[in-house]
Amino acid sequence: MANAIEARKLDVGYGSRRQAVKVLSGLDLTVQAGSFLSILGPSGCGKSTLLRVVADLLEPLGGTISVLGETPHAVRSRRDVGFVFQDSTLLPWRTVRDNVRLPLDVGQGRLTRTIDDRTDQLLALMGLAGFGERLPHQLSGGQRQRVAIARALLGQPQLLLMDEPFGALDEITRDRLNDELLALWRRSRATILFVTHSIAEAAYLGERVIVLAANPGRLVKDMDMRPFKQEANRCSREDPAIISAMAELRSALEQAS
Amino acid sequence: MRQAPLLPALAIALPVFGAASILLAWQFLLPWLGVPAYIVPTPTAIFGVFEKNLALLFGNLRPTLVEALAGFVIGNLAGVLLAVLFVHSRMLQAAYFPIVLFFNTIPVLALSPIIILIFGLGMTPKIVIAAVICFFPTLVNMIRGLDSASDSEHELFRVLSATRWEIFWSLRLPRALPMLFSSLRIASATAVIGAIVGEWIGSDKGLGALIIQATFNYQSDRLYAAIVLSSSLSIVLFCAVVLLERRAIRY
Ligand SMILES: Nc1ncnc2c1ncn2[C@@H]1O[C@H](COP(=O)(O)OP(=O)(O)OP(=O)(O)O)[C@@H](O)[C@H]1O
Ligand SMILES: [Mg+2]
Repeated sequence: MANAIEARKLDVGYGSRRQAVKVLSGLDLTVQAGSFLSILGPSGCGKSTLLRVVADLLEPLGGTISVLGETPHAVRSRRDVGFVFQDSTLLPWRTVRDNVRLPLDVGQGRLTRTIDDRTDQLLALMGLAGFGERLPHQLSGGQRQRVAIARALLGQPQLLLMDEPFGALDEITRDRLNDELLALWRRSRATILFVTHSIAEAAYLGERVIVLAANPGRLVKDMDMRPFKQEANRCSREDPAIISAMAELRSALEQAS
Repeated sequence: MRQAPLLPALAIALPVFGAASILLAWQFLLPWLGVPAYIVPTPTAIFGVFEKNLALLFGNLRPTLVEALAGFVIGNLAGVLLAVLFVHSRMLQAAYFPIVLFFNTIPVLALSPIIILIFGLGMTPKIVIAAVICFFPTLVNMIRGLDSASDSEHELFRVLSATRWEIFWSLRLPRALPMLFSSLRIASATAVIGAIVGEWIGSDKGLGALIIQATFNYQSDRLYAAIVLSSSLSIVLFCAVVLLERRAIRY
């Protein structure tokens, strides 16, 4: 199968092409289809920016990037990307159910495949079965993030981009959602890019963890986690192998900051 | 620290008590202090006008009601439509918004004689004045409201490949509603003001005309009754807007 992402000498920044502020510089990155990649890095190093380029929300300044073997634009147009934002970005005037259904209500015109209405299934899957008729402000932070994830999953995207989705949650809730996410990923075989500030979360979730440094944003560490884990990316949070891997990531992150 | 809310019974009883105390003072204290009835008639005298001259009062309420309502609808509709146009075409907005801003600085009182010159003495100029008053705050609020969706909300819709039309209906418009309604609440009072100002300048019908006539004839009980009626009109409009708002905005 093709790679999910292939970036070569990628330059990304904000502002017009002539006087842009460069955020990522000369980034080379290949991500295998179906893999789970965690992205760590100090604040402001360009993690969100990287996801934006992949999702075709931002044009690169230079270099090349292909997503699922095509341009980011082609992949976004046929809606093969799901995006989970740092703040859940639920529409406050829509009920939970209607928020999850948003992909059915907008953007259907340009879609060639039909997507099934799996709203009820997804609500149940995310533990939100009785919450369909509630409004977002009646939910806890963790429940809101689950709604956002259900919405991103509705279109069955091949590529799921998650920008610190669990950043605002307590550790217990976060651990539980991590396990649910892994179970989902194993079933769907989608590619996941997962941005986080937590070394433990990155190590636990990722088959591979990359660390970015700032000014300019570049790759400083690329760590294959599979040797530290059992098959299908399974591991225990207390496993000494994982703990030692986390120590290595921590020192890379400290140098990057 | 926030104060604890009042008991439900008190929350109703206290405003009633407040209003009653003022009315009583007005009824008995003012005449006792020697304030003449042609300056401040007593509440019972004003109420008497509603008994004696009910047909006159309501005959004059009708044109004001129609003008204020029509002006409210037309002015706000125009404001909303122009706002929609402006947020979809930044060039149009850049070209014409400054001119709209300039027009807004002209006081309506100065503008009304011109409007009457153009539209004559019928109901039309009053409707136009009421519409002009409503138009500007709604335009400004609606532009801000339509632009108030966050960056990540816009990115969400882009990831879903939503069309401009879908972004408008499912994101910009619902986002704009709270700001639209806050300007509609204000417009519910200003539309009535606009209609009455229009009637002052050139009319023999309507609450505005009644106010002017009553003033010149020293019929102050009639004057006060007309004022009570015009403020009731604003209150009814305001309540209608609030009811609509409750249905439109549930969160
Ligand atoms: N819309 C924008 N316009 C201009 N500069 C931006 C914009 N968004 C981000 N930046 C800049 O780009 C750099 C990288 O931002 P980005 O959001 O990608 O960082 P991040 O790694 O996601 O940080 P965090 O962990 O705090 O979310 C920052 O220096 C930021 O100031
Ligand atoms: Mg970020």
